[in-house]
Amino acid sequence: MSNPGTEPLLKIDDLHVSVGGQQVLRGLTLAVNAGEVHAIMGPNGSGKSTLAHVLAGRPGYQITRGSVRYQGSDLLALPPEERARAGVFLGFQYPVEIPGVNNAYLLKTALNAQRRQRDLPDIDAFDFLALVRERMKLMQIDESFLARGVNEGFSGGEKKRNEILQMLILEPRLALLDETDSGLDIDALKVVARGVNSLRSPERAIVLVTHYQRLLDHIVPDQVHVLVRGRMVRSGDRSLALELEKRGYDWVLEQAVA
Amino acid sequence: MTLRERALQELQRQPMRSAGMVAQTAQLLDQHGLPQPRDEYWRNANLRAFEQVTQFLPPAHSSAVTSLPAPLPGFQRLVFVDGRRAAQLSDAAALQLLADPAAWPAPADDQGYRDDQRFALLNALFGSDGAQLQLRQDAAVELLFIASGAAGSSYPRLAVQLADGVQARLVERHLGAPAAGGFICTQTRVELQRNARLDHYRLQDCDASALWMDTLFARLDAHAHYDVRLLGVGAATARCSAEVVLSGAQAELTWRSMAALDARQVGDTLLRVRHEAPGTRTSQLFRGIAVGQARIGFDADVRVSAAAAGTRVSQSLRGLIEGAESGINLRPRLTIHTDDIQASHGATTGQLDENLLFYLLSRGLDVATARALLKWAFLGDVLSAIEIPELRREAERAAAGHLSDQLLDGALS
Ligand SMILES: Nc1ncnc2c1ncn2[C@@H]1O[C@H](COP(=O)(O)OP(=O)(O)OP(=O)(O)O)[C@@H](O)[C@H]1O
Ligand SMILES: [Mg+2]
Repeated sequence: MSNPGTEPLLKIDDLHVSVGGQQVLRGLTLAVNAGEVHAIMGPNGSGKSTLAHVLAGRPGYQITRGSVRYQGSDLLALPPEERARAGVFLGFQYPVEIPGVNNAYLLKTALNAQRRQRDLPDIDAFDFLALVRERMKLMQIDESFLARGVNEGFSGGEKKRNEILQMLILEPRLALLDETDSGLDIDALKVVARGVNSLRSPERAIVLVTHYQRLLDHIVPDQVHVLVRGRMVRSGDRSLALELEKRGYDWVLEQAVA
Repeated sequence: MTLRERALQELQRQPMRSAGMVAQTAQLLDQHGLPQPRDEYWRNANLRAFEQVTQFLPPAHSSAVTSLPAPLPGFQRLVFVDGRRAAQLSDAAALQLLADPAAWPAPADDQGYRDDQRFALLNALFGSDGAQLQLRQDAAVELLFIASGAAGSSYPRLAVQLADGVQARLVERHLGAPAAGGFICTQTRVELQRNARLDHYRLQDCDASALWMDTLFARLDAHAHYDVRLLGVGAATARCSAEVVLSGAQAELTWRSMAALDARQVGDTLLRVRHEAPGTRTSQLFRGIAVGQARIGFDADVRVSAAAAGTRVSQSLRGLIEGAESGINLRPRLTIHTDDIQASHGATTGQLDENLLFYLLSRGLDVATARALLKWAFLGDVLSAIEIPELRREAERAAAGHLSDQLLDGALS
C-alpha cells in the first residue's frame, strides 16, 4: 500500500467502461477523501449505477481504460467479496430478493466474513442479536424481518431500509448508495438519512447517487457531481444540487459542450 | 437373457412360501413384462443398471447392522434389515402393530401392479416380509429399511391403511451400511379412508453403489389428505414410480420432493396422479440439483377425469444444473376431461442466478458459501417442509454431502 495517508480513500482516473458492447463510462475521474460525503446526480442512463457496480466488482463490465485506487491499492484487481471485506459497500438501486435465505443468517455471515478478514473471532450469537436489534430499531425495521427471506416480499421502501441496515451492521469504509432514497416515503427518507448520518466519521466516505436534492437536505454532502454520458461534467457544493433541481440538466449539458 | 427371464429363473430357487401367490405374480409379470428404456416414462431412468444385479434373491443371512440413526422423539421405531424385520432393533410396542407377513395380499391389477408400477411385481415375487400397518388410531411410526451389505437384493415393503379420520405420521428411511450396494426394490401401498391424514416422510440415502427401485401406490377416499415429502440423495441409480388415485371427493395430495445428486448418480421420478372425484386437489413441488455428471428426471403425469369437476392442480418443478456435464429433465403433463378445473404449472431448469450470487459476494461472502447458500435456498421449499427438526437436520446433512457444501445451519428462512 503506497502512502494511504496522503492519497484519497477512493481515486478514480479516466475510467472507461463498456457493457453489452456499449461504452457507458468515458473518462470518469473522481477523488473522494476519507470523512467526505459526495453526491452524484445525472440523467437516467448516464452511467451512475454502472459506476457503482464497477466499483463493487460486478462481473460483465469491460474496463477498457483508466484506474481505480482504494486505500492506496488497485481496487479493480480484487474480486467482489474481497472488496466488500476491505470495506466497500454497495447499497443496490434494485436489491434482489433471495427467497429462502434467512435475513439474519446473511447479516451474520457477512459480518463474520469481515471479522475474519481482520483476524477477529466470529461474533457471539448473543452480541450479534443485541447489535442487530439496536440497528433495526434505528432503521425502524420490525424484528420479524430477521426470520424472513432476504428482501423476500419486502416493499420497495423496506428493501432500501434493509440495505441501510446491512450497511450499519457491516460499517464499511466506503459506502456507495445507489438511489437509496428512491421509493421512500417522507418518514422513511428521514430514517434512512439518520442511518447514513450515523455512519459519518473521519475514516469513512459516502458516495450517494440520487435524483433528488431533498435527500441532501438530510445528508449534507461535501461535494456534488453531475455525471452525463459517462463523464463528470460539473462539480460543486450543495448549491449545485439546488440549481439542478430548479433548472434541470440541460444547462449543464450546454455548458459542458461549450 | 432379459431381466424378466433372469428374475424368474432365480425364482425357481426361491423356497416357496405360497406357491399360488408366486404363480399369480409370475403370471402378471409374464403378461406385462418389465419397463423398457423406450417406454414413455422410463427414458430418464437408468435401466442399464440392472445388468449389474448379480443376485435377485435376498441374502441368505444379513450382516450385522452396527449403527442406526438416533431415534426420532415421539415415534415408534420399526427396523427392517435387508427387507426382513429386525425385532431386537425395533420397539416392542411397534412390533405389535405389524400384521403377519403371510397376510400380505396377492398382487392384483387394480392395485397398481401394471403400467409403470410393474417393478412392484419383483418385490411381490421375492419379498417375504414387510410393514403392514392398519391404523385405527393416531400414530407416529418410524421405519428404517437398512441394507446390511450382505450379497443379495432386498425388497422393503410397506402397506399402510388409515381408518376413517385417523391421522398418522410416518417416517420411512432407506439406508445402507457403507458399501452396501445391490438392488433394493421397494413397494409401498397407502390406503386412506375418509378424512384420514397421512404425513409421509421418505428419505432415500442408500449407499452410493445401490440401485433403488421404488414403487408407491396410494388411494385416497373422500376428504383424505396425503402429504408426501420425499428426499432422494443416495444410490447410484434411483427411480421412484408413484401413482396416487384421488378416488373420493375433496381428497388431496401434497407432494414435495427433492433430489440432490452428484458424481454419476441418476435419479428420476414418475408421479402419476389420477383425479377421479369432484373437488380433488394436488399440489406438486419438485426441486432437483444435479452436480458433476449427475442426471435427474421428474415426470408429472396428472389425469383429471370427467367426474372430477372442481379439481385444483398446481405444479412447480425446478431444476438447478451445477455441472457442465449434468442434466435435468422435467416434464409436467396434464390431461383434462372436465372444464371445471384450476391448474397452474411451471417447470424451469437453469443455473444459479448470477445477480443473486453477486449480491451475496458484495456482502463479503466467499464464493463457496454464497453458492451453497443459494443452493440451500433452492431446496428450501422442500427442506423447510420437514416439520420434524431432527429429521430435517439429517436430511440437510445428507444433502450437503452431495452438494460438496458445508452444512449451513440456520441458513433457511
Ligand atoms: N448489461 C447491459 N447491457 C447493455 N447496456 C447496458 C447494460 N447495463 C447498463 N447498460 C446501459 O448503460 C447505460 C447506463 O446505465 P446505468 O444503469 O449505469 O444508468 P444510471 O445512470 O444508473 O440510470 P438511472 O438513473 O436510470 O438509474 C444505459 O444506457 C444502460 O442501458
Ligand atoms: Mg441507476
